[in-house]
Amino acid sequence: MSGLLATTSLLRRDPRLLKVPPYLSFLCIVIGVAWLLLLPLDDYSRGTYISENALLPGQVHTYFAGSDQNVFRGYKHEVDALGERSNVEVNDKLGELFKASGLKVARQKYEYKSAGETYEGENIYAILHAPRGDATEAIVLVGAWRNVDGVLNRSGVALVLTLARYFKRWSLWSKDIIFLVTADSRAGPQAWVDAYHDTHQSPAIESLSVKSGALQGAVVIDYPFDHRFESLHIVYDGINGQLPNLDLLNTVVAIASGQMGIGASLQQMWQHTDSYQDRLKTMLRGMLNQGLGHASGPHSSFIPYHVDAITLQPYGEGWQDEMAMGRVIESTFRSLNNLLEHLHQSFFFYLLMQANRFVSIGTYLPSAMLVACNFTIMAIFLWVKSGAPLPPKTTVGSTTQSDEKAPPLAVIQEGDAKAIVPEETLAVRERELFLPLAVVAGSQFLGVLPLYLFNHTSAPMFPAIFTLFTAFNTIAPPLLSHLLTTTFHPTAQQYSLIKSFSLLILGLFLSSLATLNFSLAFLVGLFSAPLTYMQPLPNRPIIAGILALLLTALAPTTVLFAGAQYWGLGIGEVLKEAAFGWDVWGMNTQVVVWCVWWPAWLTGMVSLWGRPREEVES
Amino acid sequence: MKLANFLRLPVLLASVLAPIPISAEHTSNWAVLVSTSRFWFNYRHLANVLSLYRTVKRLGIPDSQIILMLPDDMACNPRNAFPGTVYSNADRAVDLYGDNIEVDYRGYEVTVENFIRLLTDRVGEEMPRSKRLLTDDRSNILVYMTGHGGNEFLKFQDAEEISAFDLADAFEQMWEKKRYHELLFMIDTCQANTMYSKFYSPNIIATGSSEIDQSSYSHHADNDVGVAVIDRYTYYNLDFLETQVREPSSKMTLGDLFDSYDESKIHSHPGVRWDLFPGDEQGGRERLVMDFFGNVQNVEVDNAGGNDTEWKEDLLHLGKKIAELRERAEAQDAAVKNNTVPESRGGSHPSRKIRAAKVEIDETWWGKKAVGALALGGCAIVWLAGTYQESA
Repeated sequence: MSGLLATTSLLRRDPRLLKVPPYLSFLCIVIGVAWLLLLPLDDYSRGTYISENALLPGQVHTYFAGSDQNVFRGYKHEVDALGERSNVEVNDKLGELFKASGLKVARQKYEYKSAGETYEGENIYAILHAPRGDATEAIVLVGAWRNVDGVLNRSGVALVLTLARYFKRWSLWSKDIIFLVTADSRAGPQAWVDAYHDTHQSPAIESLSVKSGALQGAVVIDYPFDHRFESLHIVYDGINGQLPNLDLLNTVVAIASGQMGIGASLQQMWQHTDSYQDRLKTMLRGMLNQGLGHASGPHSSFIPYHVDAITLQPYGEGWQDEMAMGRVIESTFRSLNNLLEHLHQSFFFYLLMQANRFVSIGTYLPSAMLVACNFTIMAIFLWVKSGAPLPPKTTVGSTTQSDEKAPPLAVIQEGDAKAIVPEETLAVRERELFLPLAVVAGSQFLGVLPLYLFNHTSAPMFPAIFTLFTAFNTIAPPLLSHLLTTTFHPTAQQYSLIKSFSLLILGLFLSSLATLNFSLAFLVGLFSAPLTYMQPLPNRPIIAGILALLLTALAPTTVLFAGAQYWGLGIGEVLKEAAFGWDVWGMNTQVVVWCVWWPAWLTGMVSLWGRPREEVES
Repeated sequence: MKLANFLRLPVLLASVLAPIPISAEHTSNWAVLVSTSRFWFNYRHLANVLSLYRTVKRLGIPDSQIILMLPDDMACNPRNAFPGTVYSNADRAVDLYGDNIEVDYRGYEVTVENFIRLLTDRVGEEMPRSKRLLTDDRSNILVYMTGHGGNEFLKFQDAEEISAFDLADAFEQMWEKKRYHELLFMIDTCQANTMYSKFYSPNIIATGSSEIDQSSYSHHADNDVGVAVIDRYTYYNLDFLETQVREPSSKMTLGDLFDSYDESKIHSHPGVRWDLFPGDEQGGRERLVMDFFGNVQNVEVDNAGGNDTEWKEDLLHLGKKIAELRERAEAQDAAVKNNTVPESRGGSHPSRKIRAAKVEIDETWWGKKAVGALALGGCAIVWLAGTYQESA
């Protein structure tokens, strides 16, 4: 046994083997990125297909037409007339209209506070009880009064009203149908869904007075204009990068394109030529949305409750009218009505590159995993290396001195085989763990600082706070590094242990995050990739300076700022949105950024500025 | 002379009443119609079964002799746009559910266990007669199944499945228990033909909708009901039965039915298995469609398969009667002899025949004994030689 241990430790010290890990971890990053770029190819992505037998999309005739168009026009006049009225006045009228259709109506007030601002409003909803159903399940049709951009959803709400009246006439519903008109597209749906599942903060958010069964699906209409449209834009990203079951999307796409002849597009790819570039672009946009983890429409709030939901946005100038849109909804609801159990047959983890092309988790996951693995490999390598004895000091000019002592030898025996090796190759140098652990733990805890700061200050302060924090972010690493050097005089071993622990934690977090939010894990992994190769360079200040500049360019703050500039948003707006996400949606992207990414970055930067003490053999 | 002819009767009677070889006649018709899948999107499977139910009823099998197994109630499903009805055609001309329908096993009663118990009649005393297959060895049975299947299995409901081996064993048990005379097995599911590949009991003709690794497809959907309403194989079977077998007197044969299958229409390769049937394909093809899909009215043989002692007593009685008649005849002959000498053959003729039959049996018995002894001796010699060689 001891022989075996000795041979493995021999293997561990093999200088050839010790050269491999840095190249291996670099290879991991390269393969990880290349893998992602391969996904849009035909060989790696698949065409979508319906997995749930019960759905039967597009197998029914739709009858939403004819006189219903007149009803729709009437409702649209009502909605237009309400235009800029107050929320309560609007709901009074909508309630009246729903009641006239013979539905049970209820309202819900809500009030959220985030970043010093108050978001309040009132939702109204009506329940159509399934005439022959058992009221244990329900599907939701949502039309927010104002869409994500704050524009009046005039055709959308009118369509919800018309469909409510139309659905009431059918007797074939097996599930209740809830028609929900929220005051806005961001806070309102969240308040309603929270209250529906009794997880809301009362009294700020009112409880629902009327409820139905378990929600099986939700479809949102975002149709703010009057003219005819060309195609459907389907928005499917949920909060924290969660996605609805792929079957729901497939159903809508199958119905829209197969039954109604309406094209479907994703991720604002208004033109999609099915080329590699377009597929890649769609996929990357999807990944970015998933990585940001924000709500992309009223449907997003439903998804964390395992209610599959999507938003349908008509766009373009074409010849499809609001009745065609209504028929898409009708057919989709007939399909959802066919469901016998929750959507579960198809994928919940996927990347879409076209309305009918996707890759599933099994195909794309290795990409983020490889990037995360690179940190872990390097961490293990550094740990092994930190235990290696110091190289013997060779004095200049005494290369072949005969009086030099031969190194002490040790005998290793395994079975009949024996080997004689220098004793020092078997020795493990004692690792001084306290300082590295303290530094890594300290920087992890420091992450709470920006997390608290950016979620608990009022909105007008955000630009100032951000500038302040960026300044701190620039000055802190050299300062902390100097403090560390002067106070504790860390050795090179301690520096490599600091790096090892920091990378280990990063690798650990990212590989687990990859299964939950692939895109975020991949993006953070990519931005932190240079951290793998940062080490103290006391004798090469110029290279250290260049590297520091590079690392600063990839700092969370810089990336945040560059992102805001790229999309033409003020940094204040971005932070306000993030705080809103944190307070209302329960978004946890910030936690990953400030408590995983930023500490790793800080530790990397500190060790780059480090000056290890000369080590002497004891 | 008349009397002499009359005296031959016992010989003829004995040949009729002796333990029967397979007779071509059956006296009752039964149908077991099974859908094995539930849920709204499997509407077509229930429609398949109900269409066949309507057909066999039309051709004369009464409800009391049809076992109908329906695992779900499509008529009352809230998703049904036409409540209380089931249609197997988009023209919705015939409501299959209608009135006058008797479902014997419904909902969760449709299980593999209940199905096999039904076939083999292993049921408790409390089981009502309407849920039992009360057949005997003169009953022809039509077994029709439809649902979702695979290679050598058929799914029941959502939880269990019956394998081809289970089914084959159940049929064998039925045969051993003399529960059928002839059986037509018909199945419409994916890879249906694998389901009858394991059968090994005699007098079965089996047919299925598709070969191994082949799907069975639906025929068409009703866009107002919103689901497919019938499967292709069943549709074309019904098509034949509706158009060609119009009344119970139809002389259409199973050969005609199977020849009507058009693979380009059914979209799969239907199969037929004849080898278990006496007369193989030739014999099977000549069977009338009405032998399985209709009800027999014209043939009634009361005593067939009746009480054993009863007919023996009858025979004994008859023998006595014959002896009595013979004595009387001899007495008459003696009286005639007194008048005319040459005519003396009449009386001896029948008695010789009976004796000859006895001698024949004795002869074969000795022959068989000799052959058996020879065979045994041969085996012993071979064995001895073997052991000798081994020891050497």
